[in-house]
Amino acid sequence: MIYRVHHVTSYEYQAPVALSAHLAHLLPRALPCQRVLSAGLHTAPAASWRRDGTDHFGNTVTWLFLDVAHPAFEVTAEATVDVGFPDPPDFAATPGWEAVASAARHGGPAAWQAAEFLFDSPLAPASAEAAAYAAPSFPAGRPVLASLLELNARIYREFTFRAGVTTTATTIREVLSKREGVCQDFAHLMIGALRGLGLPARYVSGYIRTLAPPGRTRRLGADQSHAWVGCWMGPEHGWVDLDPTNGLVVKEEHVVLGWGRDFRDVTPLRGVILGGAEHELSVRVELEPAAAGT
Amino acid sequence: MALDEMVDGKGGLRPHWRSLLGILTSLGRPVLVERAQRLERIATEEGVSALLPGAPPDPWRFDPIPVLLKQAEFARLASGLAQRARLLEAVLGDLYGPQRLLAEGVLPPALVYANPGFLRPCRTSSGHTSSGHTASGQATPDRPRSGLLQFYAADLVRGFDGAWRVLADRTGWPNGLAHALENRRRLGRILPEIFASHLLCPLEHFTEVWQDALQRLVPHADGDPGGVALLTPGHADSDWFGHVLLARELSCALVEGGDLTVRGGRLFLKTLRGLQPIGVLLRGEPGSRIDPLELAPDAAGVPGLLEAARDGGVHIVNHPGTGLVEAPAFAAFLPALARRLLGEELELPGVETHWLADSAPGGPAARDAVLRDPGAWLVRPALDGAAPALAPATLPEAARQSLLARIAAAGEKYVARSPVMASAAPCLEGGELVPRPLVIRLFLTHAGGAWRAMQGGLGCALADGAAAWPVAAPGLAKDIWVLAEDPLAIAGPPAHRIPALAIRRTAGDLPSRVADNFFWLGRYLERLEGAARLLRAALARLARPSPAPHELAELDVLTACLTQAGVLNAEVVAGLSHLGLSEALLRAAAPWGAIHAMIGRVSRMTGLLRDRVTGEMHTVMARGLRELEDALEQIRPREDAKARETASGAMSRVLVFAATVAGLAAENMVRGGGRLFLDLGRRVERAQAVADELACALELPGADHQPALVEHGLRLALELRDSVITYRSRYSGVLQPAPALDLMLADPGNPRGLAFQLVTAGTLLHEIAGIQDAALPGIAATLLAGAEAMVRDVQAAPDQARAATLLPPRLRALRDDMADLSDLVSRRYFALLPTARSVGIEGGTPALLGAA
Repeated sequence: MIYRVHHVTSYEYQAPVALSAHLAHLLPRALPCQRVLSAGLHTAPAASWRRDGTDHFGNTVTWLFLDVAHPAFEVTAEATVDVGFPDPPDFAATPGWEAVASAARHGGPAAWQAAEFLFDSPLAPASAEAAAYAAPSFPAGRPVLASLLELNARIYREFTFRAGVTTTATTIREVLSKREGVCQDFAHLMIGALRGLGLPARYVSGYIRTLAPPGRTRRLGADQSHAWVGCWMGPEHGWVDLDPTNGLVVKEEHVVLGWGRDFRDVTPLRGVILGGAEHELSVRVELEPAAAGT
Repeated sequence: MALDEMVDGKGGLRPHWRSLLGILTSLGRPVLVERAQRLERIATEEGVSALLPGAPPDPWRFDPIPVLLKQAEFARLASGLAQRARLLEAVLGDLYGPQRLLAEGVLPPALVYANPGFLRPCRTSSGHTSSGHTASGQATPDRPRSGLLQFYAADLVRGFDGAWRVLADRTGWPNGLAHALENRRRLGRILPEIFASHLLCPLEHFTEVWQDALQRLVPHADGDPGGVALLTPGHADSDWFGHVLLARELSCALVEGGDLTVRGGRLFLKTLRGLQPIGVLLRGEPGSRIDPLELAPDAAGVPGLLEAARDGGVHIVNHPGTGLVEAPAFAAFLPALARRLLGEELELPGVETHWLADSAPGGPAARDAVLRDPGAWLVRPALDGAAPALAPATLPEAARQSLLARIAAAGEKYVARSPVMASAAPCLEGGELVPRPLVIRLFLTHAGGAWRAMQGGLGCALADGAAAWPVAAPGLAKDIWVLAEDPLAIAGPPAHRIPALAIRRTAGDLPSRVADNFFWLGRYLERLEGAARLLRAALARLARPSPAPHELAELDVLTACLTQAGVLNAEVVAGLSHLGLSEALLRAAAPWGAIHAMIGRVSRMTGLLRDRVTGEMHTVMARGLRELEDALEQIRPREDAKARETASGAMSRVLVFAATVAGLAAENMVRGGGRLFLDLGRRVERAQAVADELACALELPGADHQPALVEHGLRLALELRDSVITYRSRYSGVLQPAPALDLMLADPGNPRGLAFQLVTAGTLLHEIAGIQDAALPGIAATLLAGAEAMVRDVQAAPDQARAATLLPPRLRALRDDMADLSDLVSRRYFALLPTARSVGIEGGTPALLGAA
């Protein structure tokens, strides 16, 4: 499935900003199941100094420095990607979840990279409360994918998507007690639960298609950046991406930008400004299937 | 029983201590006591607490008895530490590079990935297009990184078997080097006798070698190669004083995050002249706090610094991520890592350490041992090199149980060691030598392709019973002497030519922040002096038993002036009796009153400028400020003659202090840079005070319908301007408005008058700006013309006194213009100083996150 992504972030400042530095995670990374056909990022005003690179997790990053006074700043990222995530394995064939936890804890050639996602991170520490919430889905010896799918479905069913009730500072505990939030909150909740059970889980940043295919309901989290959870199933089966906001297995309605331990590692656009007083931010995202032949 | 450094097991002196002990004995106890006191005095006069009265004293105290090490013994330590530095550099190079140690299972993932010292942005690579990296999993640079570690220190203890062992590796930012150098110098001042009979390896070679190595690191990519600067978190940091001393030792700039900016991939210092390139940045801050763009978003730091460093625009020493290997749990892996990475055995063992993690070799067994017999162990957080050790044996029962429960539940968070019985070194206490447990810190730098150790170091004597995990923490510091056996073995640094410096004489290189601080030091000093003068004049009038009517009117004027100056509160003063007024004045002078607050502001600025004034000037100011505080302590805010006298005396001391500082600045500071701004601040403040006081004086109660009263107001104004004698010598006893106003407003020869301030301010602004910028000096000239016009108008008026009573609005307008001029100076020279804010990551609304 070929998609075209168009993502515009704009800042309007009350007073001109004299100097600013921004770090963007806005270009999709290439993956075996995600071919990046084209990708580009441009800004208005143009950056005085721009650099591109690859972060510790292998994500594509861009630095943008502006040193002329500017009353507004707009970053546009555009990409064409061909995605088709493979079907997850037969869940009965995946190992028991405790075996996966044990493999991760001991690291070694097949597990050391996954093990990074076992540990606390600032926004998604291992959470005893979240683990307790998840525990009914993780009875002893159950195949890990069966448990993960059930947890994913439960978060989708039992939590309400509502914008504006949470912030970056909202903790997993608050989300658990409110039972509402946005995709970022659900992703952090699920990650905190899995880490609490000793399973590696990572935060995936990306997009979900704006308009649903005919006959299906519109997905939650479209029109904006989206986030979901990468879950590890052990050395043999690797990672599976689950979207608890929509109760989905990620297959061909999502485009991956990159991943990290939590939102902070893959913030789409963060920056430091000098001056500017108050600012207003607006974000526009479109993810559309590319017309045939393009 | 611990080993004694000075005495052998049979009660005899070790041979290399004989000479020192002989000298100490011949000096005798009273002399030693007196020298120790002199050392304490030096510490107060030159230490950090002298800079910031009320601030906690320098955590390092200094003991005058050195620790003696034989050169051969020291050489073994230096070689062992050089090997350790090579090893840690190789470990860092791998973990911030290909991470083979993790992939091959040599190190467990938790040691790195759960370690707060592992800074992921330091593994980011940049400068290539986004299509070139691997398509699966993590970025895997194929070659280990190098050059991450440049400066390294280790804490060591000597056990009962006589062998030194490493307690802790300091790879982030080892502190204490400057203290070691300073201690050696102080010791030379107070106990010169003991140096005479010892052949000592000098410390200075180390700083020369280091300076040279730093020069070599300066990138020479294009044009101006850039200078060396030391980044400090500022004077509130406990290490700040060490940074001040070190910057002086290395002759480099001491800067704060706000002084620096990244433009086009290069690092610059913001100075009055503009941006000056920095090629090497010594990092006196934790690596996680140096770049809010990629690391802690709430930190001060310099946005873009990491990317500038990746691009080669600046070299950071040490690399920000080097704190990673300070985690105590690394100690358990070092012998295996040495064999693996260097193919060598560790020359210098560490104190045996067990990581209690399931995944660590021997971890579960060690954990069981700790849980079985907790009293026999010391426990520390596994991944935090700065956290103190806990001795379960000394913990209260509840705390011990809770610690043991945490160890049982999450062993990977702790390491355990058997307590080390550190060797004892003699310390001077009350004239006697008392043995104290000793930890030493030795320093190494990578220069000319090899690791070199400073031939000396910082000893740290611990309080008795503090054998609990003695990591050298600030405490009682000791000089470490390496006794030379072959004087010819002392080699100089390799030569490295620095390009000849261009001659500079302007204020231009001064950081804008420092200029700003000097400007405000000048203003605060003048404000303090003015307030003291007014207060003393008011107290003198209250002292008379029955004041004459004109004295009462003068008191009203003084009250108005004191209110204007912020010494008295207008609402409190309104309707006060004389008794009440007297009490209000005493309260303003007493501790925690307005004068005290002004002294506090001067102290704060003095502290911020510690590294910008000469030692002598600083000592005088610090001592003066302390004495002023003591003088204020004597004032009891009770209404009686004695209290007024004490307060009046204290105010006179303030005036003496202000005059001393002004004299020192004139004689002692280079005419340029900071001095210009200090002086400008004083002129701006004093010009405003003249205008204000004169306006109040001319508004003497009743003067508007009885102009003759103006004479009293002018007399008072002359007194406040310290100009009575000058006036009398010029005009004998006849007081007329125009001549008096001329002396105070238009005569540029009167240093307390307005014209002098404006002329001087104009000259200063001209000197600061150079010839390109005549706008600011022009404003000062215009204000001067306005002051001269006031005098001319009064002179020409048929009734001079009445004309003088019309001046206050013009004087106040002039004062406001002066305030505007001060604003313009701020905007012109200090505008590079707004504070940075993070966007996109912190903030209230989810909309800010760009996430649904």
